[in-house]
Amino acid sequence: MSESEVISVRGLRKSYGGRTVVDGLDLDVRAGEVVGLIGANGAGKTTTVECVQGLRRPDAGVIRVLGLDPVRDADRVGPLIGSQLQDSGLPDRLRVAEAVALFATHRARDGGELLERFGLGARRRSAFSSLSGGERQRLFLVLALLNRPRLVILDELTQGLDPAARRDVWAAVRRLHEEGTTVLLVTHELDEAEVLCGRVVAMRAGRVLDSGTPAELIDRHAGWATVGFGLGDTRRGDDAAFLEHLDRVEGLRSVRRIGDRVEVHGDRRVIAHVGAALVARGPVPDDLSVEMPDLEDALVTLLDGDGGDGGSGGTDRPAADLIGAAR
Amino acid sequence: MSGPVARLVRAEFRLMTRDPLVLTFVLVFPIVTMLIIGGSFSADDADAFSGVDPSDWYVASYVTVVIAATGLVMVPVHLASYRERGVLRRFAAAGFPRWSFGIAQLAVGLGTTALASAVLLAVAAPVYGVPSLHEGWRVLAALVLGAVAFVSAGVLLGSVLPSARSAQAVGLILFFPSFLLGAGGPPPAVMGDALRDIAEVLPLSVVTTAAREPWLGIAPAGGSLVVVAVLAVVGVLAAARRSALGARG
Repeated sequence: MSESEVISVRGLRKSYGGRTVVDGLDLDVRAGEVVGLIGANGAGKTTTVECVQGLRRPDAGVIRVLGLDPVRDADRVGPLIGSQLQDSGLPDRLRVAEAVALFATHRARDGGELLERFGLGARRRSAFSSLSGGERQRLFLVLALLNRPRLVILDELTQGLDPAARRDVWAAVRRLHEEGTTVLLVTHELDEAEVLCGRVVAMRAGRVLDSGTPAELIDRHAGWATVGFGLGDTRRGDDAAFLEHLDRVEGLRSVRRIGDRVEVHGDRRVIAHVGAALVARGPVPDDLSVEMPDLEDALVTLLDGDGGDGGSGGTDRPAADLIGAAR
Repeated sequence: MSGPVARLVRAEFRLMTRDPLVLTFVLVFPIVTMLIIGGSFSADDADAFSGVDPSDWYVASYVTVVIAATGLVMVPVHLASYRERGVLRRFAAAGFPRWSFGIAQLAVGLGTTALASAVLLAVAAPVYGVPSLHEGWRVLAALVLGAVAFVSAGVLLGSVLPSARSAQAVGLILFFPSFLLGAGGPPPAVMGDALRDIAEVLPLSVVTTAAREPWLGIAPAGGSLVVVAVLAVVGVLAAARRSALGARG
């Protein structure tokens, strides 16, 4: 394990009652990275991070967090990790400021400043039970960051938040990255992974299907952009020549004509070439549209394809359903 | 800033004072029942109370009712609700040391018991008077060890029962027979043989005997004190094993 590696997982296996949830998983997270674990429900993401945090004992495999074993060295690893856990709460009658005091160690930053930063300054005396869902998540984030952790683990960080609250939380994660904190993010929200993560790891049935930057995964598994436009009232001969020209552009996959409308599929380069061709041809059509593939397209392709063997803990549902279920 | 156990104890004490179950069961219930039953008998009934004044008998006995209410009702419900809501996972993930939560629960349980007992005696003083201690160290040892045993039992119950509701149900089922037969009900002398036999083996009866008899000068009750000490040790060991924070299977 190199010094820059914050998390190193090799051959992690975990089963519950004979059902394999994590199946020989390898994972590396380097210092300063924001890494997202993505995948459908039951992919093993939460179990993986629970093992990384030392909350679950692996059946097999080796885990090192900052060079330490998270189960054996729990008392040393725990203070180095700040985590926001799925399905965990605080006592109903505990007030916000009391929660900060309870979780603050000798390494803690100024809790009041953190509460202000996350918009909870006015809620210091409020009981946990009186906080909204967004306020609770922001409080969990404050607690996760309170003790200057070297690794922050965020599991379903923005689940149940309204769009404004989500963006606030995203901004907080970006700030963490700018400060050099290593973040492991578990999420069903693929737009969240695309926006926040420098690298994503796609999982299914407890195994890694693929990993890379969001752009790399999109290129590898959903690399086709679609440029659509109407031909308008041009002469037939011009249309044929124009389409023939498009047929030769770099990165092209296909050109389809549906009545007056043309759809050009290809990688990202196609967007530039088709745009240039349209500008050269004359007035740019009013109905020009560009559809870019996103991480969701990539994950659907991955889950539908051979990325995993559909082994134990897997599911035969179509990938689109799985993504839907995850939302 | 302070250590994790101190932070937990501070927070837990605050939460206890805001918990209506604690206020009702640990503070109000023993006081109200003591006031009622302590005045239900006259000095003429002393024969049934090992020759002591019945009100003295009940004042000395009701300190252990506080212990039972804390250990069998308050602690298990509190702990089970924490487990149910994922609070313990959050403590474990935040790096609280393995034994910190169990130690904090024990400290808070003992503190609550001491506080509620003091309030009970303060209420009893102007009404019935507080009987003088004949063998203070034995009484203190019995009460402290009894509280450790019952709070540990509460931690154990809260750690194994699946929800706060089930902890409340089981706690109440254990509490009321213990209360009626082991401390706050009729004296053993007026019980039928079968009931007296059952009452004698209840842990709360043993704790009450170990505290009340040397308090009122009835007997040293050394055997009962030894049993209470054994219960405390077994309780602590069992509770420590179940309440440790950390990795699950």
